[in-house]
Amino acid sequence: MRLRALGLIALVALAGCDTPRSEAATPIACASGKIAGQGSSAQANAVSAWIRNYQVSCADATVEYASVGSGAGLTAFIAGTGDFAGTDSPLSAEDQPKANARCGAGPAIHLPMVVGPIALAFNVAGVDSLRLAPDTIARIFTGRITSWNDQEIRRDNPGVSLPATPIRTVHRADSSGTTDNFTKFLAATAPADWPHGSGSAWKAPGGTAQKGSNRVVSAIERSDGAIGYVEASYARFHNLPIASVGNAAGKYVTLSDAAAGSMVSGAKITGTAGDLQLAIDYKTVSTDAYPLVLVTYEVVCKAGAPGLVKSFLTYASSRTGQSAATRLGYAPLPDALRDQVAQAVAAL
Amino acid sequence: MPAVIEATRTIARRAVRPETPARLRLWATLTVLTAVALLVSLSLLMARVQQQVRIIGDEAAPQAATAADLYFALSDMDAQVARMVLTADRDELAGSQIDALGTYQERSRQVDADVQKALSAESDHDRVLELMGHLATYRERVWQTLTAGDAAAGYYTQATNVLHLDLLPAAKDLRDSSTERLSQAYARKSATEGWAVTVAVGLGAALLILLVALQVWLARRFRRVFSPALLTATALTVALIIPAVAVLTLQASRLSEARDDSLTPFLALSRARAISYDAAADTSRFLISDNLAYYDDDFKRKSTCLAAGGSCGPTADEIEGGLPSVVGGPDVSPFDRDQVLTRWQAYRTDHERIVGLARGGKEEEAVGALTGIRRGDASFDFAYFDAAVADITAARSTEFDQALSDAKLVLTGWPWIPVAVLGLVIFLVPLAVRRRFAEYR
Repeated sequence: MRLRALGLIALVALAGCDTPRSEAATPIACASGKIAGQGSSAQANAVSAWIRNYQVSCADATVEYASVGSGAGLTAFIAGTGDFAGTDSPLSAEDQPKANARCGAGPAIHLPMVVGPIALAFNVAGVDSLRLAPDTIARIFTGRITSWNDQEIRRDNPGVSLPATPIRTVHRADSSGTTDNFTKFLAATAPADWPHGSGSAWKAPGGTAQKGSNRVVSAIERSDGAIGYVEASYARFHNLPIASVGNAAGKYVTLSDAAAGSMVSGAKITGTAGDLQLAIDYKTVSTDAYPLVLVTYEVVCKAGAPGLVKSFLTYASSRTGQSAATRLGYAPLPDALRDQVAQAVAAL
Repeated sequence: MPAVIEATRTIARRAVRPETPARLRLWATLTVLTAVALLVSLSLLMARVQQQVRIIGDEAAPQAATAADLYFALSDMDAQVARMVLTADRDELAGSQIDALGTYQERSRQVDADVQKALSAESDHDRVLELMGHLATYRERVWQTLTAGDAAAGYYTQATNVLHLDLLPAAKDLRDSSTERLSQAYARKSATEGWAVTVAVGLGAALLILLVALQVWLARRFRRVFSPALLTATALTVALIIPAVAVLTLQASRLSEARDDSLTPFLALSRARAISYDAAADTSRFLISDNLAYYDDDFKRKSTCLAAGGSCGPTADEIEGGLPSVVGGPDVSPFDRDQVLTRWQAYRTDHERIVGLARGGKEEEAVGALTGIRRGDASFDFAYFDAAVADITAARSTEFDQALSDAKLVLTGWPWIPVAVLGLVIFLVPLAVRRRFAEYR
């Protein structure tokens, strides 16, 4: 018996010399209470995953999020019925003072929480890899290029054999942050070919309109020759090929978390004093940046926000939170930006 | 023939002549021979035990874990398909649907990886090939279900039938055969250990007796009490035998503790977890199939067997003692165990509420209560229950891995230690008696 004990002591001593196993994910620092947020549907999946994980770990907390769209979310926040708002575009110049007034003790700030790359998913016979320059994309979506073996597409894809299938574009019928960011990209990088400006509602003529990303991706899957813009998660989970997009540095970049992160890293922070609004610069990008990205923010009061909001956002901006979002097809915030967001949350 | 017998008798007589050189030679030879026997047998047996520990750790235990994981992944795969069918045409549930699709793909990859690992066991080849055939049929049914629109329910019945009547029984067979192999591996190791300890103690004691007797005889015959070489040899022998026996007993007890306290509870909990996933999917199946009582009954059966043990259905698995005994144990605090039971009870209440809503015609509300992530919604409450179970499962798996690496650590180098130590002894004995022989030249 004593021998066994001695032996075990020896074992434990030896085991202490072993290399330490990797640390488990940092546990969530819980707060209690109940908060409600509303807004962007582009981030709804990520927020749902965060809510579920947070509530599982924290028995006394309840978080709710209603996916009513960025506009309605900001309106509810300004009216005081929401503790935070999810939005794909920052508050407009008229709304910022109203939001500041709602917050009282301090301004309302924007915290980027997750990046949603936008994929150009396509369905073309014999083609699983495609490169498209911004002006080609603009011409496709305005209906000037009508066939897959058009010379412009062939110019972008030397050596690829393209069939003569007619192009069928698919766009969103409903108001969406994805449309907003896609049209912003086109307006900035191909203004000559894209005269429709930017906005959450699709203005170009032609193509098929579908309500919701689910239906867009089904429409692409069903139609030979279809191409549409949709959140990367939908294209990835439906196993659709995604086009590599030409960026302002002249490179065609394949969609990946790192490439999307690189694009967001290059964005300038236009907010001050803890407000981390980003202005994405489509014209000055690094060679490995994928330009079609959507950054989604949480709008919160800098001072006076409930402790649960701070705790919840601390989890969302942590590495564990970011990887929970990545599992659902989002791209995580690039490390430098993530640290800034974490600091801003800590200062709430 | 008589000449050979004569010759043998002569040699033997000469060996046991009472004259001193002959006696000396006899003692020395016997001692060296015993040492050689001990060296060879202990070394070989230690090597065999080491190999058997490796087999347990690198083959038998992982195979058992893979088979348990396969059963679990199959159960969840079908649960996700049910979720996809349920959320198919509802815009407000698009997020839930994409999550189900992602999880289905993850489980599908997990199933493929497990099937590939299962192929590494030769004796399971046929079972695995059969399972792969059923898997192909299942995937075809799932494809039909997901593209059938309104006719999804009919195709889904086919899919879930293939899963429950063909796939899960095949996975259960694999699981049973791998558990059997694990038991056999442990039994074989136990037998080898027994032999090793016997040899170490038996031949070791014989060697010690011979060494001590040799020294005593030398002391009496030559009046030299102190022989450093022989004393060293004796000390070395003791220093070998005691640790050898200790090492063998230590790793045996560590590994069998690991099996009883970590591996077996881990496998049992994995089975219970798979059943809980399947039972939770019954809520979705009930709604998809237009409130078919069969799925409500199936849920009740599975829920009862989870709560109290027993058989979970005519084609389903069985759990001994239910969740209380499978989750409980020396490694789980009573609080954690009660959390698991309470959370399962909460899910059960949710299921009953949803069934009530559906039967009362409030289908939209029922679906909302099923897919929501608020506390009190079935989807959240199940995730809450599963998080508790997952923590315990992970802890047990880590415990077993730790025990295994401890056992391997303890056995490191032992096939060679007897060679080194006894080699030295074999060298020292003739050295010690050489001087005494010199007196007779």
